[in-house]
Amino acid sequence: MLLFRSEEHIDRWCARRALPRGATMTPEQTWRLARAWYAGKLEAGWRRKTGDEAEAVFAEIGLTGAFWALR
Amino acid sequence: MTAGEFTEFDRDVRLHVFRRAADTGVVPQLQEIAAVLGHAPDAVEASLRRLADARLLVLAPGSTAIWMAPPFSAVPTDFTVTSRGRTYFGNCIWDALGIPALLDADGLVETACADCGAPQALEVRAGAVRSGGIVHFSVPAARWWVNIGFT
Repeated sequence: MLLFRSEEHIDRWCARRALPRGATMTPEQTWRLARAWYAGKLEAGWRRKTGDEAEAVFAEIGLTGAFWALR
Repeated sequence: MTAGEFTEFDRDVRLHVFRRAADTGVVPQLQEIAAVLGHAPDAVEASLRRLADARLLVLAPGSTAIWMAPPFSAVPTDFTVTSRGRTYFGNCIWDALGIPALLDADGLVETACADCGAPQALEVRAGAVRSGGIVHFSVPAARWWVNIGFT
């Protein structure tokens, strides 16, 4: 997961590596994802999210479709 | 492995790794964990392998060295995070933002455009992020763990 200056820079990076374009999100969405994913991880009761829980987090942030499916 | 298959010792090892990384900016390694927890290195090694099998840690290929304790990276990366007066390294832009999220603190993420290398900074302050740019995920979610280093 990398940060780019603009869509144009993503296109160039993908073309140079012959990689298909993946999915994009704003820094604000990434921050929301980071908070949902990592908040509370220093607590004894923390546990890894199940696939269903992870997909629910993605959906809440507006990350839907085949790219974000875990099953 | 499900959470129910962890031993109390595994939970202690996990907590020590993440709390130590959060408190110091340095991800602890096997000998240090064994010394602090008062257990034999062999027992800690077995625990690290169980935690890695459960995708709670990533070990460096062919070794028992912790490479990633997400969001923390044990090795320097292109995602430097300053928070609470300490310097950390994130594994990717998501993890870099994960560090102030985990610490529940303000922070500054310094990285560069992956294409052109222009410096980019993301400031987390009072629970919000300020930044330009756009984040790109190359690998679909279902395949992140096929090669987590690339992801």
